[in-house]
Amino acid sequence: MDRRNFIRIVSQSILAASLLPNRAAYSQEKRPIQFVFAQIKYRGGDWNPHPLAVTPLMEELMQRTSVEAATAKHEVAITDRDLFNYPFLYITGKYEFEPFTAEEVEVLRRFLSYGGFLLADDALGQQGYGFDMALRREMQKIFPGNEFKRLPSGHAALRSYYLLRRVGGVRIVNPNLEGITLGNVTPVIYCQNDLGGAWERDQLGKWTNACTPGGEEQRRDAFHLGINVILYAMTENYKDDLIHVPFIRKRLTRTS
Amino acid sequence: MKDLYLVGSLPWWVIALVGLGTGALLVQQFLSLKQRLALGQSSFLVFLRTCVYILLIFFLLGPALVDKRVTKLRRPLTVLIDSSESMAFPASSKATQDGKPGKSRLDLVREKLLNGQEPLIQKLNRDYDLRLYRFGTSVEPISPGSLSQLKAQDEGTRLLELLPRAATDAGAQSGILLFTDGITNGDQKTLDGTPALSVPVFTVGVGETEGFTDVRIAEVRAPEFAFRGREFKIDLTVQAYGLKGKSVPLYFNRGKNLITSRPVAIDSDSFEQKITFSFNPKELGTHSFSLSIPAQPGEQITENNHKEFKVDVHRDKIRVLTLSGSPAWNYRFLRMAMKQDPLIELVSFVFLRTPTDTVDVPDNQLSLIPFPIDDIFLEELKNFDVVFFDDFSHRAYFNPVYLERVKDFVRDGGGLAMLGGFRSFDSGGYAESALKDVLPVELDNKGRYQTQATVRPVLTASGKVHPITRLLPDPKANEEAWAKMPPLADLNQVRGARGETLLSASGDGAATGSPLLTIGRFGKGRTLALMTDDVWRWNFIAVGNRETPQNHLKLIRQAVRWLAQEPAFEQVQIRPIPTSRPGEKVTIKLRVLKDDFTPTPQASVQLRVFGPEGEPSLVSATADSEEGEYTGEYTPTKEGSYRVEAEASLAGKTLGKDKTSFSVAFPYGETDDGRPRTDLLKQIAEASHGEFFSINDWNDKALDKIAAKLESHAPSQIVEQRQTRLWSTLWPFSIILALLSVEWWMRRKWGLI
Repeated sequence: MDRRNFIRIVSQSILAASLLPNRAAYSQEKRPIQFVFAQIKYRGGDWNPHPLAVTPLMEELMQRTSVEAATAKHEVAITDRDLFNYPFLYITGKYEFEPFTAEEVEVLRRFLSYGGFLLADDALGQQGYGFDMALRREMQKIFPGNEFKRLPSGHAALRSYYLLRRVGGVRIVNPNLEGITLGNVTPVIYCQNDLGGAWERDQLGKWTNACTPGGEEQRRDAFHLGINVILYAMTENYKDDLIHVPFIRKRLTRTS
Repeated sequence: MKDLYLVGSLPWWVIALVGLGTGALLVQQFLSLKQRLALGQSSFLVFLRTCVYILLIFFLLGPALVDKRVTKLRRPLTVLIDSSESMAFPASSKATQDGKPGKSRLDLVREKLLNGQEPLIQKLNRDYDLRLYRFGTSVEPISPGSLSQLKAQDEGTRLLELLPRAATDAGAQSGILLFTDGITNGDQKTLDGTPALSVPVFTVGVGETEGFTDVRIAEVRAPEFAFRGREFKIDLTVQAYGLKGKSVPLYFNRGKNLITSRPVAIDSDSFEQKITFSFNPKELGTHSFSLSIPAQPGEQITENNHKEFKVDVHRDKIRVLTLSGSPAWNYRFLRMAMKQDPLIELVSFVFLRTPTDTVDVPDNQLSLIPFPIDDIFLEELKNFDVVFFDDFSHRAYFNPVYLERVKDFVRDGGGLAMLGGFRSFDSGGYAESALKDVLPVELDNKGRYQTQATVRPVLTASGKVHPITRLLPDPKANEEAWAKMPPLADLNQVRGARGETLLSASGDGAATGSPLLTIGRFGKGRTLALMTDDVWRWNFIAVGNRETPQNHLKLIRQAVRWLAQEPAFEQVQIRPIPTSRPGEKVTIKLRVLKDDFTPTPQASVQLRVFGPEGEPSLVSATADSEEGEYTGEYTPTKEGSYRVEAEASLAGKTLGKDKTSFSVAFPYGETDDGRPRTDLLKQIAEASHGEFFSINDWNDKALDKIAAKLESHAPSQIVEQRQTRLWSTLWPFSIILALLSVEWWMRRKWGLI
């Protein structure tokens, strides 16, 4: 699908949504918010390289799925008392950040070991430098001996809603996702392609960053991945349940 | 009469040497005397001395007089008569003129022993020291007079265990006369390994193998327990005699319901075929099964055409179906609790997309699967134990008529849990659905879903003891654990509770006092209403507070078990009843718990036992103790499978029901195989040097044969011997003295002295 088609579908969808009777009011009054996109504020570096990235993703999430989400992100420090109210955390940045304190390491370990989820997104896209280096360093402290590993193509996060074959973002630094897996769940997923940059729009609704080299299709992949990761966090390995396997296999066979 | 015997112990060669020495001495004496006396005188003296020597040498041979007296003894004879149940079978395949079976095997034995001018039993009593016994599982002496009253009612035949003992007790001179059909079903089935028989056993075979007509179900092998939904196999053997060329139907039933049948073609006179049936149990509990073949024309034994067995069907897992209205943290942590529980098998559907959601790719690039409405509600629902409606409303997805199926599912014993949320209870439109009557809360379409509240759980009196909300065994610690639970933000408010409220809401405003967790019953099933979609906080927020997430996990797992009616969560529990035998008193024990799961001795317990034909009996049950234990007693009269149903109520309110079954059977299977075992009787006779007779050949000649055989084995005449040694008498000494005196006198007269 080219950029024109993508825009057409999105605009049609927005139009269709706008024709629904009081969808926004309906959501606010009746439908409670089930999902809040919480972003970690850390010390040092740049914790918020794309301040406007989350809202477009949340709008996309609500338009495509049954999840009701807060359109604005929630900013949270690891040691905040209400951290555990937000089982989905997002950490992003460009530069190296300060090491987590022992308390922060322990809190994150508990958070991720007992059902919480962390999406890490490298906005710089330089492997071994800046944010990438700092993230790997801190994750090693949280889960010693359990390094990031490439997620297989059949991972539940890549089929929790869309059947994904590509990982989008502003630039394709790494065509695969990495993750830290504990048992049969992956509480940490890491994308090095600057997803936030692909999601971000300015106040006038224009995309802030161009996606290269795939253009709008690559941006669409970034949105799809964002939705998939959120649904994966909320449904765990639901799509690995036996009841889904034959359907998914059939569709993958047809579309390949 | 006395006979002379030489009983000396000296060897012959010694006696021969002595004889030779003596001869030489006599020659020397003769030659010496001849020089001094005339020939005649010398010869006379040597003759006298020769006589003395001959006598002495003769005594060296040990001459003795033996006096023999012959005494004829009365020989003991042990007569064993089989009085086991198989002796009630017809003795012959020939029916009587009116078509009824002929006389029984025991009747025939009685006839042979008691009938006639001089009954054979009298002859035996006259000729032998008769010891008459009946035997089956044990041996008991009987008098000849009681033989006519003897009944074939022993439940087994321990022939090969009892026979060696009887042979030992009988004594060396005796014999054993055995009247039996040869059916033996004790521990020992063949002669191999049986102690050697020390006396001859004369076996009299009763019952005909020629023309024996029977078809039977033998060797049924079925598992004692099976898992629901998993096929199990039943192996059996069909044996038939005298029915060559026929085809008989074999029926496999569960209770009274036919599962399957198949024809069995009998292609030989002595026919045996192994058959396997399989069955996939769908319901939990104890199931009675039966295998049967209709009675065939001319069949002598029909009791063995039917076999019953029971299988306890357990669940290997509790199958839970969850329908979630959308991805949510409540689903995430509900799933975690169930997936980590090895007893739970979870099938979940999460509605990832509503009809108003649009997608930007073709459907084949989505992982969404169509919700199989018909498959779930019309076909598969019965295969689940518990259904969770997790913030799910049917309105957008299917016709409310499908909820009738859910209502039926609960009525038939399934568990239904509805968790709160925007799409649940009144907000989900359930006040106008079939589930309105099923749920344990009152719906009136006015209830609302409250968000951004602060709701804390408060244990009610029932909640403090109920197994769902018992997170810790210690009551005080349990209350403390609930007090520490993080507050919830969302609450579905309804008009009220109809069931038992275990947790009520406490907090700000309208939430206070509302039911938070309520349970109930509908038909045979159980229901649960958790009025919030926010209980994930009891897990994850607790983790953030450095508390354990286990309370949430335990709450979910215990709720699932209670809804699935796990035995440990039953208020009426009948204890397992072991297999008994007819006439033996069966004790039925059960435990009764109140709604708050504390034992009660005040319950009214109705205990009913249904016999093999379905005939009901009311059994009174009394409380044994304050621990809620009740006991009833029942005495079954016949073999078969008995069903027990218990229902307990307290103050007019039903507490619960339970049912089980038990088998009543004789342990020996005496009537299983009625074929006479002539071959075994022949082996016994041969091994003991006795003889086998057919009952038809049993007459005076047979008695003579037995007498002769016993005589050859151990004569009944006893010979008494008295031995008198000649040397011990006065006569030999007197003769020798006389001969020596004559010799001395002659020597003196002839001047030698």
